[in-house]
Amino acid sequence: MTVRTERLPYGVGRLTGGWYVLIGVLLAFVVLGLYAYSRQLAVGEAVTGMRDIGTMGGATWGLYVAFVVYFVGVSFAGITVAALIRLMNLEFLKPIARMAEVLTVIALILGAFSILADVGRPLRAILNLFRYARPQSPFFGTFTLVISGYLFASLVYLYLDGRRDAALLARIPGKLQGFYRAWAAGYRDTPAERERHERASFWLAIAILPLLVTAHSTLGFVFGIQVGRPGWFSALQAPGFVLLAGVSGVGLLIVIAAILRKVLNVPDQLSPQVFRWLANFLMVLTVAYLYFVIVELLTTTYAAHYHEVEVSRALLVGEYAWLYWASLAFLVVPFLVLFAQFITQRYNIPLIVLSGMLVNLAAIGKRYLIVVPSQTHGTLLPYGTGAYAPTWVEYSIVLGLFALGALLFVLFVKLFPIMEVPETLVSEGAAQQVIEGG
Amino acid sequence: MRTTLTLLLIVVGFGLQVVSYFFLAAPWGIPSSPAYSNPRVPFAPTIFILGVVLVFLAAVVYELLPERGQ
Repeated sequence: MTVRTERLPYGVGRLTGGWYVLIGVLLAFVVLGLYAYSRQLAVGEAVTGMRDIGTMGGATWGLYVAFVVYFVGVSFAGITVAALIRLMNLEFLKPIARMAEVLTVIALILGAFSILADVGRPLRAILNLFRYARPQSPFFGTFTLVISGYLFASLVYLYLDGRRDAALLARIPGKLQGFYRAWAAGYRDTPAERERHERASFWLAIAILPLLVTAHSTLGFVFGIQVGRPGWFSALQAPGFVLLAGVSGVGLLIVIAAILRKVLNVPDQLSPQVFRWLANFLMVLTVAYLYFVIVELLTTTYAAHYHEVEVSRALLVGEYAWLYWASLAFLVVPFLVLFAQFITQRYNIPLIVLSGMLVNLAAIGKRYLIVVPSQTHGTLLPYGTGAYAPTWVEYSIVLGLFALGALLFVLFVKLFPIMEVPETLVSEGAAQQVIEGG
Repeated sequence: MRTTLTLLLIVVGFGLQVVSYFFLAAPWGIPSSPAYSNPRVPFAPTIFILGVVLVFLAAVVYELLPERGQ
């Protein structure tokens, strides 16, 4: 019998010319990032724009840390959406559950790589974290809860959620059959197994949601509890991190869902109702974050001490003003667009996607503005104003990380169904093969 | 058996987290000596992570372990 894998649903196992080109381009960017990183390892962090605060008038945390926060923020969407679908029984959102879970896993991996890019001696940093991390430090939480716990929990969720589809695909002969059989691990989709999965997923969702809030808050505490750093020390940092994480994650999920809708030609599964829900969720998160921005702005400009005002001035009218106002505009405009759609109840998918893209640009800008200006303009010691400009090495590594993330996503899409597979689809495909194969 | 093992993993996992966080890692309190900087047991953070991993691994055990008699 001829073995044909192209009958797998959603284009799994089938690579056309366009996919090869895409993978080639992404690989090229990954190689560029690796080359830049090799320069950084060989020469040291002198090849980056990062310098000591104060004495060298620079910033020790730059683009890498901004993207650590961004990537971890993006990971918010996956498990949140997956958990909400499970807990609130949002059946119509099921098609985006797996892509959201994959987004979470990949974003957390990229976040971990960004941390490694930031430290001068990565192997030593990893070993020392495992040996010496102190529970009192928010870095402990970032390391244990965000990177380890959250990533592991997401992998477990993704694995268990995929067993049913793996079992279905394992019925179809092909090169990937063994892989699906291993993933399914004996799953046969009996009523008892289904019930057990429902129960396990429910409790996983219950366990993951507080972990998610704790993890994102912990990352906010890394900045928020530094009393000696004007611009960072704020009770709003932790909840602000959670909210902006939601904004960027849901925004990116919208963009990915729209791309897959087009590429896989699945307008029925990824229906306008899915985008409507995501748009409303994004709108609520965006307006909540905008409220935080306004509160922060009023607090720091009304009667703050001198150093706090210095940071605010750099943000509002100084060298970071263009980025600050652009980021704010990229939050306000999507909110207005989404709000107008909500009021009129006339939703436009391209506009929702545009909003998702804009809020992500805003999130990157805001992460940069949280990390850098407080170091260059927020020192309490009598040093002059500092400056920080990323070099090509930093840009290349970040670009390489984005390419790696996209590459991992593309490979997953080609290895495993990115959406839940209807049983009829597989049965028809398998039957077709048997007939064709004789 | 399956439920027992699952619950055991959850309890042990949380136990490891609590013990490593409060009793094995660097002591809580005002850091008045170098003893506050180092963990009381080497790799205490690793034990905490192991605890987190065990708690979530319980879900895998619960789903993968077959029913008695199967």
